[in-house]
Amino acid sequence: MLKYTIKRLLQSLLTVFIVVTIVFLLLRLMPNDYYFTEDELIKLTDEQKEDKLRAAGLLDPTLTQLGKFYKNLLTKGDLGTSRRISNGQPVWELIGEKFGISMRLGLIALGIALLIGIPMGILQARYKNGIFDHLGTAYTIFINAVPRLVAYSLIYMLGVKLFKLPSMYSIRDPGRSSILPIVCLAVGSIASYALWMRRYMVDDLTKDYIKLARIKGVSTRGIMFKHVMRNAFVPMAQNLPVTFLLTIGGSLLVESFFAVPGMGPLLTRAITRYDTNVVQALVLLYSVMGILGMFLGDLLMSVFDPRIRLAGKGGETR
Amino acid sequence: MKKLLAFVLAAAMVFTLTACGGGSTPTTEAPKTTTTAAAPGTTASGQTTAATPETTAPPAPAANEVTDWVHYLTQVNEMETFNILYSQANKELQVLTNCIDGLLSNDNYGNLVPGLAEKWETTDGGKTWTFHLRDGVKWVDVKGTEKADVTAEDFLWGLEWVLNFHKNEAANTSMPIEMIQGAGDYYNYTKELDEAAGKALGIDKLKEMVGIEAKDAKTLVYTCVDKLPYFDTLTTYNCLYPAAPQLIKDLGVDGFKACTNENMWYCGPYVMPTFVRENEKVMTPNPLYWNKDCKRFNSVTYKMVESGAQAYQMYENGELSYVELTEDALLTIHDNINHQFYQNLVEARPTKYSYQIHLNWNKNMEKSEDPDTNWNTAVQNEAFRLALYYGLDATPYLERTNSINPLKCANYCYTMSQLVNFSSGKEYTERVMELIGITPSLDNYPRYDAAKAEQYKKQAMEELAAKGVTFPVLMDYYISGSSTTAADTAFVFGEMIKKNLGDDFVKLNTLTYVSSLANEVRKPRKASIYINGWGADYGDPQNYLGQETYGEDNAYYSISYVNTNDITEPELIEIYKEFTKMVNDAKNITDDMDKRYEAYAQAEAFMLKHALCIPWYKNVSWQLTHVNDYSKIYAPYGIQTNRFVNWETSKDGYTTADYDTFAASYEAGAGK
Repeated sequence: MLKYTIKRLLQSLLTVFIVVTIVFLLLRLMPNDYYFTEDELIKLTDEQKEDKLRAAGLLDPTLTQLGKFYKNLLTKGDLGTSRRISNGQPVWELIGEKFGISMRLGLIALGIALLIGIPMGILQARYKNGIFDHLGTAYTIFINAVPRLVAYSLIYMLGVKLFKLPSMYSIRDPGRSSILPIVCLAVGSIASYALWMRRYMVDDLTKDYIKLARIKGVSTRGIMFKHVMRNAFVPMAQNLPVTFLLTIGGSLLVESFFAVPGMGPLLTRAITRYDTNVVQALVLLYSVMGILGMFLGDLLMSVFDPRIRLAGKGGETR
Repeated sequence: MKKLLAFVLAAAMVFTLTACGGGSTPTTEAPKTTTTAAAPGTTASGQTTAATPETTAPPAPAANEVTDWVHYLTQVNEMETFNILYSQANKELQVLTNCIDGLLSNDNYGNLVPGLAEKWETTDGGKTWTFHLRDGVKWVDVKGTEKADVTAEDFLWGLEWVLNFHKNEAANTSMPIEMIQGAGDYYNYTKELDEAAGKALGIDKLKEMVGIEAKDAKTLVYTCVDKLPYFDTLTTYNCLYPAAPQLIKDLGVDGFKACTNENMWYCGPYVMPTFVRENEKVMTPNPLYWNKDCKRFNSVTYKMVESGAQAYQMYENGELSYVELTEDALLTIHDNINHQFYQNLVEARPTKYSYQIHLNWNKNMEKSEDPDTNWNTAVQNEAFRLALYYGLDATPYLERTNSINPLKCANYCYTMSQLVNFSSGKEYTERVMELIGITPSLDNYPRYDAAKAEQYKKQAMEELAAKGVTFPVLMDYYISGSSTTAADTAFVFGEMIKKNLGDDFVKLNTLTYVSSLANEVRKPRKASIYINGWGADYGDPQNYLGQETYGEDNAYYSISYVNTNDITEPELIEIYKEFTKMVNDAKNITDDMDKRYEAYAQAEAFMLKHALCIPWYKNVSWQLTHVNDYSKIYAPYGIQTNRFVNWETSKDGYTTADYDTFAASYEAGAGK
């Protein structure tokens, strides 16, 4: 187990290094003119532009810039300052302002989705082809068939018109103003968890060991909770940590829709505004979170399913 | 063992996330203030001699006035900096103008009025300007706690910051360098220093090199490069704003550059205790603001919205105090007499921007760097340009901005109206229109003259065919690829050209750029025309016409857009040289403002008669609002327009009839 953990950590570090380096180099391939705002392009002379680029180190050879980036990151944990999103503000500080909000909304939505979606899937499987199953399936199909923006608009209209909820997230009234964004975040996940839980459980219900358990006189309740549900949960458990961690990333659509000052739109805004330091920091953060999530998912899966061994050759099932 | 591992894993994840989520949102509790005075404001008429402010009493606040104003901005207009000396963008300045005052401000007629300076004068026709600061002006922090007095020397620190390359990275330098003695030399001096030495500079070297002096704590003197009778208007622009030396010392150079709402100091009417990026910002009155008599809101909240449509929804829900209407929303309300807002449709006042069709004299081909000889030859022919000038009835295009009163958006001059007036009270652009023979009308588009257009078209086709030009001439026009509004407008534009001039003369070829007009279009010279607007930074026609001259480095449009210096047609070069001479002659008239403005008007009329560019539109939109726009500062230059002071408001929302009354009352008071 320890050997596996060390090996995976080293692989993860290498992956992060490759991802961040590639992104760094790609950003340096863009013309330097993108460093300037349209206003600056209007008002600065060519000489002033060159002076600014030199001062920012952007006229140094690319490898020198890359070396400086890693030196600052590894020795000082410094990812530089934002230039276009919030001029002069350290990037970590900028991210720190935002990810707490995204994560709070994301975790509440995730919790709601798990609490509703998984029991919904279980009930659908338990009463397969019954009215509850049909209703659940209709909900799942509706959510997956209708474009998210349309679903959000419906939720928005219902929430604002019928329940007089605030149409925008407000830091001064986070309770009420969080309701609509959380509902929007949760509706899709509820459908997803219900769908997969139902599917895995229905699959398992047809397996031989279930038939054997029935013959041995195990109650339906016992079969469902002790055997089927546990096995069905294994594939979902693998994705849970990564889903959990990536709530930090927020949702581009929901956060834009309700003006939530979170992480969702940050990466696209940083890219469109050529805020390279912010882009690099976010790529680093997301790649670390993604890789850490997958690693924890593997470990969690082995906890839920004792047959899975991680330390063997490439991982194997007993 | 497995259960223990599961517990440890779960605990590790929770710990990781809790640690990550510890960052708090950047808010500060608002200071509890009750400052909402509503007593006399001040206006001043003095401009070139000692100015003594007149005092007039604003109306007393009505019982149903709005006390907490909720404004909105779209997400793309989120602030990137709180450093007012560094900012060059309206998205920041429209907010920061409420936080820091300049020497002078404007009233609702655009007149200069005292700001931090209670009076000002020039005794030598505009070469030297003296500003007398008022007593009792304080720097305060975000909680409204007094930090220091605002002194004349603070303006030296402000200018030092602007001109110091290592501090302000060349932002906002162009006008001080152009106007203040020694400013350019000082900028170059700082640039030669290494970063540490540049950042360590105080104001000693500035005093030695630059024409700015603090005679005493309350007296500030600027020495200009020449007689500049309009220099006082530049003080309403942020490049001449003050900086508190103690704050620079406290925060350090990098900290001051990246100051925030929480650590900056304020001397304007409001402080900003709450700023949540891409969500909202809240301003409350500065309790130690020098002007106790100006009327302010108890709070001003900016909501950051995704789109105009969302803003309209919020207005409907009572979450905003005003909304500018999109074309769809406007027509929905206007076409339904029973609509709840039908009576509340009101027309906004024009913004300060004057939009033109700029003609590119030296364009390259769309797919190569070879010159587009067909276009370049055609556009340098005067008959070709005049056919466009007289042959385009812009009404359908203007309907895109104002579908109810499109001709209110018509623009026939290069300079924006209301910039300056003659001593008789006549507005400058009225004189220009007299000279070019245009009488504005709300019934028809007076510049359109089908007969003249046909005559010039025929002449142009004959002359240009002889030079090998093929027709229709392709006119490449670039719009943002992500803007459906721009695409719709371009379609209307193309159809309008076809309808007015036929499809055998000019054909609009609409193309798109991805993210940067400057990089993708302007620099590689890809467009035949640009439709863009200019808003003045100071109050003189030079700020407009100076952008179009020939052979001058400061002529922004000539250099950066239309490549005037690359014209090859000798006749057109002569026209440009004549125009440039006329502008410079006007610039040199500094002792008689009427003569100066007349000379500028003649130059502008000359430019338009030769169709060196084609005036196109101004922005007059429709809105639903709780404020009387005519009570707001209306500054045709500088950054004062968006100050939330002395606004007349109504909790009920104004009606069309109310606005008609306001407009009539405003017109009656014009020229006072």
